Amino acid sequence: MAEFSTSVQERGDISIINLKGFLDAHTAPTLENNFTQLINSSKYKIVVNFEDLAYISSAGLGVFMAYIENIRDNKGDIKLTNMSDKVFNIFDLLGFPLLYEIYKNEEEAIKKFSGS
Amino acid sequence: MVKVSRNIVTTQLQLFLLAAFLLFIFKIIFGNSDEFFLRILLDILIAASIFFLLLALIKFENSRTSTPLSLILNVGILLAIMFFIIMFSDFLLPGIFDSINLKLENPGLVYNIVSFIYVLVLVSIVSFFLITLRHFFYLNQRKNVRIYFITMLIFFILASLSINFFRDESLSFIATTFFVVSLLLMIFNSIRISWIAFLSKKEKIYLLLLSFVITILFIVNITNSAGDNIYSQILTAFSPSLRQFNQIIMIYGSIYFLILFFTTLFHLPTAEAYDRKAQEVTSLQYFSKLITEVLDFNDLAETVTDIAQKLSGAKASWIIWKNGTKQNSLAPKNIGFVESDKVTKQILERISFENLTSTKTFSLKEGISEGSSDNLLTVVSVSPIKTRGETQGILVATKGSGQVFTQDDLNAIETFSDYASVAIENSRLLEESIEKERLEKELDVAREIQRKILPSKVPEYPDLQIASVFIPAFEVGGDYYDFFKLSETKLGFVIADVSGKGISAAFIMAEIKGIFESLVKTIGGPKEILIKANDILKETLDSKTFVSAAYGYFDLGKKKLVFSRAGHCPLFLLRDGNTNQIKPSGLGLGLSDGEYFEQTLEEYSVDLNDNDTIVLYTDGVTEAKNEQLEDFGDKQFLQVLQSNINLNADELSNKIINEITVFSSGHEQYDDITLVIFKWQQ
Repeated sequence: MAEFSTSVQERGDISIINLKGFLDAHTAPTLENNFTQLINSSKYKIVVNFEDLAYISSAGLGVFMAYIENIRDNKGDIKLTNMSDKVFNIFDLLGFPLLYEIYKNEEEAIKKFSGS
Repeated sequence: MVKVSRNIVTTQLQLFLLAAFLLFIFKIIFGNSDEFFLRILLDILIAASIFFLLLALIKFENSRTSTPLSLILNVGILLAIMFFIIMFSDFLLPGIFDSINLKLENPGLVYNIVSFIYVLVLVSIVSFFLITLRHFFYLNQRKNVRIYFITMLIFFILASLSINFFRDESLSFIATTFFVVSLLLMIFNSIRISWIAFLSKKEKIYLLLLSFVITILFIVNITNSAGDNIYSQILTAFSPSLRQFNQIIMIYGSIYFLILFFTTLFHLPTAEAYDRKAQEVTSLQYFSKLITEVLDFNDLAETVTDIAQKLSGAKASWIIWKNGTKQNSLAPKNIGFVESDKVTKQILERISFENLTSTKTFSLKEGISEGSSDNLLTVVSVSPIKTRGETQGILVATKGSGQVFTQDDLNAIETFSDYASVAIENSRLLEESIEKERLEKELDVAREIQRKILPSKVPEYPDLQIASVFIPAFEVGGDYYDFFKLSETKLGFVIADVSGKGISAAFIMAEIKGIFESLVKTIGGPKEILIKANDILKETLDSKTFVSAAYGYFDLGKKKLVFSRAGHCPLFLLRDGNTNQIKPSGLGLGLSDGEYFEQTLEEYSVDLNDNDTIVLYTDGVTEAKNEQLEDFGDKQFLQVLQSNINLNADELSNKIINEITVFSSGHEQYDDITLVIFKWQQ
């Protein structure tokens, strides 16, 4: 079974989730837990770093959809950064760039949070 | 079987009654005659009667399964009855008959009847003693038991008969010799009583008292009948041999029970330890049997605490089970949840799951009162229950103030908790495999749904070749494609991929089929249809599920293709030796509400040229993986298309599938693969 892990860092009031490995239907609960915990502690400004993510399936994409409404209702957002071309293509096919802000790196995303 | 044995009993009983009847007739005719020949005949008749009576009693005894203790109690009761009969004969019988001595010399009919019944009752009682003693004798699984017992019986008979036939003073040593030999055989046959070892301590105490009373009663009855009282006189008058036989049996009884009394007495100090060992053995046997049986986890926990409590002689027992970050008490035995939780709290202050690798015992900081009694639980033993090499539970046993867990207790619990670990691991594995089987069944259902939803054959149109390939993954991937014959010259098509897998994906596929089937009949344009489909799916799908889809139609009359893409893989148009990727903008279905979806959705329209090939696919094609987990990829897919542009629809689809198969050989197909190819040839 493909491996997947996450780590969460705090940068001020912004939380950064780093993804690593293969995100699919079997590993999605790990990421779901991260989102649930952040929401429970009222941290709604979230940056997800895709740098070490090798693969994402449609079920993996679903995780982002599950929480975005709640987070935006609380004046927060999920911003996505450091996607490889392959991962970006998957997001792009489904039209995710229309729904999420996607940046080249963390700094840009953080700046965007601070600016708004 | 029962009927047969009952028949045998009645046969023996009939023989006995016949012999007794003959004996009775003999008595009436000859009275207490002293003639040698008659004496022999009398004793033969008596012997025959007793013989058949014993046989009947043995059969009767075998037909019931009575415990030694209940038999002994019967002996005690009969001894007491016998005691009273002997006592009261001295008062009653002289009242009925003027003088016994007179009667003995000159018996009348009434006396004969009364004395006969009197003798019969007493002989029956004594015979029962003999049978019971025989029963106990056979409980000792010694070699040659039969020979020992029969030898003893022969000497009993010889000793009895010699009394009657060697009355001469000079020959009395013969009777004495036989008697002494009988006595030795009795002692020999009474030692080494082993059956009492299997009794519990309580039963042994009971047996000790009973055997003491019975020994006393035997001795009292022997001394009573040895004197010159009525009982002795009547019996001697009836037959001296019979009287002697009775006495010998009574002596045998007293010896046996005296030895039984002492044996039990010596067994008593070790009785408790023996009890414990026996309990351990049966518990472990019981448990190793349990391990191999199919068990529910909760049933298992109940059994574990039940046995642990008995094994260690503890007052109460339960399991502390780790459930994520929490602990709960499982299967508390002899203790309430509130009390067990209090003790659990004290235990966990002292030890942690990780540190507990072997059985330990310690005193509680503060005793916990159990129920209404003021008896405090003060000492606990804790043993790890491990699954997957980690301590997952703690088996707790507690004892009250003044008690301790001995090394024996701890060893027993330790061994036992190992067994419990194995059993719990087994039940967990079993649950997992049941779950796995359930999932496989579920996937069978999902594949069946998918198979029925997908079109069984492609429609036929002039000038339009259609090829479709669908290869399901083991875990149903949620791919769906379909064709709609809108008119003689208009063909609608859809290709879609549901996020997620398995049976839930299969149900959503079915829903999508229903949505498109109804929408294509009323609405024309691909954009409109996808907007409607999105509205419906946004309502029904949960927030993390979505569907990528592409819908379009061929208008063969106007030589046109119109289509829209809702988050699905792009469409390839092979024309004039070039492979063109067509990717109009569009969000996946169920991702966004209607307005934004509508704003971002484009509709694409192209006029068809001769030899145009249109390729639709799902991501199972481009994400097919090889052994190094590399994707087949867009690039390679494009290359395959580019270099096979001139093939017809069927040939091209075969070629693509072939390439994918070669690429991904050695790696299990993870997602459904769907490929739909149209070729326009006028």
